[in-house]
Amino acid sequence: MLLTSGLLGLLYVVFAIVLFQVLNVGLAPMLVIVIGIALFQFYTSDKLALAAAGAKVVSREDAPQLHDMVERLCGMADLPKPKIAIMNTPVPNAFATGRSPKHAAVCVTTGLWERLEPKEVEGVLAHELSHIANRDVLVMTVASFFAMLAAMLTRFGLYAGMWGGGGRRDNNGPPVWLIVFAVSILVYAISFVLIRTISRYREYAADRGSALITGAPEYLMSALQKISSQMTLIPNRDLRQVEGMNAFFIIPAKVKSFSSELFMDHPPIEKRLAALAEIAREMGRPVA
Amino acid sequence: MGLRDILSGRKKLPGPKDDRLFALTTAAVTLQVELGLTCAGAAAITFKPQSSGEFRSAFDDVDKLLDAVAQQSGSTVERSSDEYGYDWIVVHDPQLEDLVGTAHTLASELTAQGFGEQLLAAMFKFDGGTNPVYWIYGFKRGSFWPFVPSGKDERDNATELELKAKLEHELPIEPDLTRWLALFDAPL
Repeated sequence: MLLTSGLLGLLYVVFAIVLFQVLNVGLAPMLVIVIGIALFQFYTSDKLALAAAGAKVVSREDAPQLHDMVERLCGMADLPKPKIAIMNTPVPNAFATGRSPKHAAVCVTTGLWERLEPKEVEGVLAHELSHIANRDVLVMTVASFFAMLAAMLTRFGLYAGMWGGGGRRDNNGPPVWLIVFAVSILVYAISFVLIRTISRYREYAADRGSALITGAPEYLMSALQKISSQMTLIPNRDLRQVEGMNAFFIIPAKVKSFSSELFMDHPPIEKRLAALAEIAREMGRPVA
Repeated sequence: MGLRDILSGRKKLPGPKDDRLFALTTAAVTLQVELGLTCAGAAAITFKPQSSGEFRSAFDDVDKLLDAVAQQSGSTVERSSDEYGYDWIVVHDPQLEDLVGTAHTLASELTAQGFGEQLLAAMFKFDGGTNPVYWIYGFKRGSFWPFVPSGKDERDNATELELKAKLEHELPIEPDLTRWLALFDAPL
């Protein structure tokens, strides 16, 4: 994790220098836009994600058991109580969102509540609360920001090349827009892989957090197994409905399977189960 | 939480802060004189047991000690667990000092065994109002908050806020209202 964060940081610095050197005009307005979008996403992340998922925030009267469960887990994890939402779909899943623990929301699907045992739901909720405690929206927003910047610059470089007539500074080197274009594509490709590496790491961290909060990793293990095995039993129509929410979900709802772990935002289920089994073995040994 | 925790993800649960439990015994006078609330003779401590065998054997030791302490002060101890997988230890004793003392013993012994992170809350019951009044002590926060259930899944926020206003100077009351955890199905 530290290695990848470091690499990502280094990459941004290099990227910024190249930007500054090669493209010192017309950058300011674009930066304002990119930063503006990132800030907007960050500050509205809880509402955006809930709206995108079509989830409804529920009060204590609507779902007393769910509220009780979340409140106690928050007590254990020392977190303020987040907004609680329910998404009406038979796909068993859950996600957490929000820029800080004070502005967080946790959402479960009706399928999760119906298909899993209460203790398994608890393990899943604790996993989502760990995402909130670890400030994963902040981490992922920062991590994705530069990928987004690179993507926009790629387009910008392309347009500048097509309409700006080249923007050459001298007649010997390659045109500036081509350099920007190439660098941006490279930055985007590398950050794409790094973001997913960080994301997988955050999943392991949240699994560990869940084990600590509930004191019983075996229920999260059975929950993960149930969620991933039932996922394949559910018709594709439902899966596609929720596919846009994948990065947030505890287990991504995939219609197709991926070829390489390097490009996945969640670790494969077998590796997560193995990591949890290791935590279960460790847990008996008190740290103090 | 520090930058390191943010980058690497939390590796531990926050530990217990049991040092401010005794503030309740001094606040008891105000509770009785100004609000007419008296100790109902019952308290409960709730914690999340780990499924590991090490936790079970460590807890057995704590449990035996608890019985010994209870015998000395003449209080009775009951154990139960709830539908959310938390264990409860309910102590009956007319003296608030003994109740607070037992809660503190359990907390410090569990901490000494290395499982202090599993502690969630202690709960003290008071009579005298239309509804029973509970003072909940959050071990993670190291502070108290009032809990007045006024029916199934409903709490009397007005009374709770009044209690907060009256006792703010004597009791370390949790300032963040989003942390005022409710414990509706407490076995006391």
